[in-house]
Amino acid sequence: MMRRTWVIKAILVVSFLALTILGGLGLYEQRRFDIPIVAGPGVTKVVKLSDYSQGLKGTIADTLVFILEGKEAGGKALIMANTHANEPEGMLAALIMIENAVVDRGTLIIIPQFNHSASRNTKPGDGYPLYFEIETEWGKKTFRMGNRDASPLDQWPDPDVYIHYPEKQLLSFIDARNTNRTWPGRPNGLLMERVTFAAMEIMRREKVDIAVDIHGAETMFPVTNCIVAPEKSLRIATMAALTVKAKEGFDSHVEPSPVGFRGLSHREIGDHAETLPFLLEAPIPFLDQPTGPKTEKFLLDGKDPFLLSLARKKKLFVPYDESGWPVEKRVGQHCSLTMEILRQHAKRVPDRAVEVRGVPRYADIVKNGVGSYFHDPAKAERSKIYLN
Amino acid sequence: MVMIFYYVISAFLAVLLIWNFIREKKNVEDMALYLLVLVPLVLRILRVK
Amino acid sequence: MSGQIGIILGVMILAYAAAKAAKLSVEISMFLSAVAGGIGGALVRTPSFGQLFRHLVEGSFTYLDVILVFSTATIFMAIISESGGVNYVVRATVRYFYNKRVIALLLLMIIILIPGALTGAGSISLLVVGAPVAMALGLLGIPKRRVAAILFIVAGLSAAAPPVNIWAMILTAGTAIPYVGFELPLGIPVLLLGTFTVLVLGLRKQAATTFEKALKGMPEVPAKMSWWRVLIPFLVFFGSVLAYRIWPFRFPVLGLPLEFTLSAVAAWLVSPKKINILTLSRDTVKRLLPLLATIVVVGMLQQVMTATGVRGLLSFAVISTPLVLLILSLAVVIPVSEGVLTYGAAAVVGIPLIWYLDSIGFHATVAIAGLTLLWPLGDGLPPTALIGRLSVMVSEYKESYWKFLRSTWLPWLLITIVGILMIVFSARLEFLVRWSM
Ligand SMILES: [Zn+2]
Repeated sequence: MMRRTWVIKAILVVSFLALTILGGLGLYEQRRFDIPIVAGPGVTKVVKLSDYSQGLKGTIADTLVFILEGKEAGGKALIMANTHANEPEGMLAALIMIENAVVDRGTLIIIPQFNHSASRNTKPGDGYPLYFEIETEWGKKTFRMGNRDASPLDQWPDPDVYIHYPEKQLLSFIDARNTNRTWPGRPNGLLMERVTFAAMEIMRREKVDIAVDIHGAETMFPVTNCIVAPEKSLRIATMAALTVKAKEGFDSHVEPSPVGFRGLSHREIGDHAETLPFLLEAPIPFLDQPTGPKTEKFLLDGKDPFLLSLARKKKLFVPYDESGWPVEKRVGQHCSLTMEILRQHAKRVPDRAVEVRGVPRYADIVKNGVGSYFHDPAKAERSKIYLN
Repeated sequence: MVMIFYYVISAFLAVLLIWNFIREKKNVEDMALYLLVLVPLVLRILRVK
Repeated sequence: MSGQIGIILGVMILAYAAAKAAKLSVEISMFLSAVAGGIGGALVRTPSFGQLFRHLVEGSFTYLDVILVFSTATIFMAIISESGGVNYVVRATVRYFYNKRVIALLLLMIIILIPGALTGAGSISLLVVGAPVAMALGLLGIPKRRVAAILFIVAGLSAAAPPVNIWAMILTAGTAIPYVGFELPLGIPVLLLGTFTVLVLGLRKQAATTFEKALKGMPEVPAKMSWWRVLIPFLVFFGSVLAYRIWPFRFPVLGLPLEFTLSAVAAWLVSPKKINILTLSRDTVKRLLPLLATIVVVGMLQQVMTATGVRGLLSFAVISTPLVLLILSLAVVIPVSEGVLTYGAAAVVGIPLIWYLDSIGFHATVAIAGLTLLWPLGDGLPPTALIGRLSVMVSEYKESYWKFLRSTWLPWLLITIVGILMIVFSARLEFLVRWSM
């Protein structure tokens, strides 16, 4: 009898170890996987976010900041992506700019993986793939698929309710790890508050004119396929939306930033710095609830039969047909809108202009694919490669 | 700093589960359940996830 | 594609039924159902077989913090109980209020409402104050089944009560609606429905007890027990919860598990009786095992369901229902989704639902408040039945679970009607939100 108990226990322990090790290994590797970024011809300096806030030194939340300075003096623009690391079109657009943009006037500051901890996290319960791959001319480039929120390995525990600084609005406990709720942040607060604080410091110290925060949003979410802008950015946002519609033929409407909803970049940046904030949303069907399996293919092509059926019942907030919402369209919109916002700003305040060339537009990316703008790290100069 | 206490709490809980697993002599289902609950705790303590 | 996903769903249900037929426990059956769903999905590579273990392991993390909260809170209450504190409080309550039944019932209702309202979890109410309140209700001559019923309904309401309502927080976070203005739309129905529940289920004295008999029936309390020995641990707990609310930018974020651990240490230190904390904790974990396992397995189940598309199919089915039918079906869909997914239900069914209702002119905040009255009911439904099982556990009711659940029918029905009416008339009830701000 005793023998039997021991045998059963041994079998159970072996199964436990098999499950834990085989299942845990993938998660372990994802957290430690680095994406090589090839700094393009326009990159003049690469610094770290912690250079602007001591509180990030030595933490996983610290992340690379790419600076592209023009020969002529002008204004400054900050571009942030992966604020939500499960909305990868923003990061892809930012990486295209880092690898290809050349600045003629003013300065472009790009943070491609803003919530770095979240990009090394996964979303329990939601069954995402751990990675996704983009086809290029030299093979496949692999990216981590992150989570909306920072990893509890880096910020634990969650409060029982998150109290926003400084307005004291009550937010969901999970939003303490959401870098689009922790703005404007504090130097010694929670780790994610230190991340947003460092970005606020960049904007205040460098006198940044324009900040663009790039996202993706569900097709069933009313605030999708749009530019979210507070009162002071509305003019530029409206002009940018009208121009891309007329010149490039894609839609993106303007949503005013709600005054009563705290912690969001498009609200707090404008309230706590001179900078004009913009938040870009492109539809990402992968994040919708009523969809088929959460596969890598679906993440990239955005095709789903359930959403198609719901679109026919007019329950989506964007046009949707058999072609889905491919990643090329999403990244293309982000690149075009960002460039158009810079152009509209330059027209209004010429001495603070930021003039950029070399960034592909919507039609280029839809035609050539996202991957054709990434350079092969194997062929690039060692000093140009940054792992993040 | 508070985070350290959470690893201590997790470790304490893991020890209690293992202790119960060792003491359990008859109920095979319970033995399996102790180990199932242990999965996320062990991986958190090892800082895998 | 829906055919393929439907087959995977069928495989999961079959695996569950087969496991139950083989007399396996709910937890093991759910685990096997998750594994079967994962294998079913792997056959069509959604997700691939190599990812199956990763999905199971990752899913087990979904509610890791809830496991820590449950464990620490229960150990805390076990210490209070072991030290004689629970019996002490019940003795006093019965002595003062035995002949003022309505006041006693309302007072006990408020006591259950507070911890859940502050933490957003009905389970915390039951784990912290459930046992003493159950004993007090018993001494007021209420049979155990009705005691369990009162605890279940009021604990559910406590989770919905402001200031912290986790379903509403998940919904507002997922729909980008501010989590403000919920005080009145949630507070008023919770108080009215709670009062109704305790009076309907508790006003009639069923067991023929007298005051003297009740006093005699109560267990002995250690001689050195006193009010402050009972109160100090609770002051530590509520103090640490409130301190962050009052000084959010100066007081560190402790989190519920640590708050309960500190309170447990305080309770252990002031106990008049020596307590072996290790064996007590060990036995508590043993008692909690089914609940802890359920939480872990529900996370795995949720992950497999999402990765295979089963979750999306269910969500799609809800959203595609015609409006009138949809609103009527909420009476069933919302509680059942909670029974299967617990808090995950708010994301799966709730988020698309609120987007849809909002877009056709319903007032989102009031509609969310109405929905979150319905969700706690599902915490009594299998397979998880978290709050239902806890209610039964702390009230020491030993008979059929279904008989217990049936005795909640009248408050259940009323809560359902109120919740659905709040959704239907959300636009007209909008003033409740305005008055809250
Ligand atoms: Zn986002």
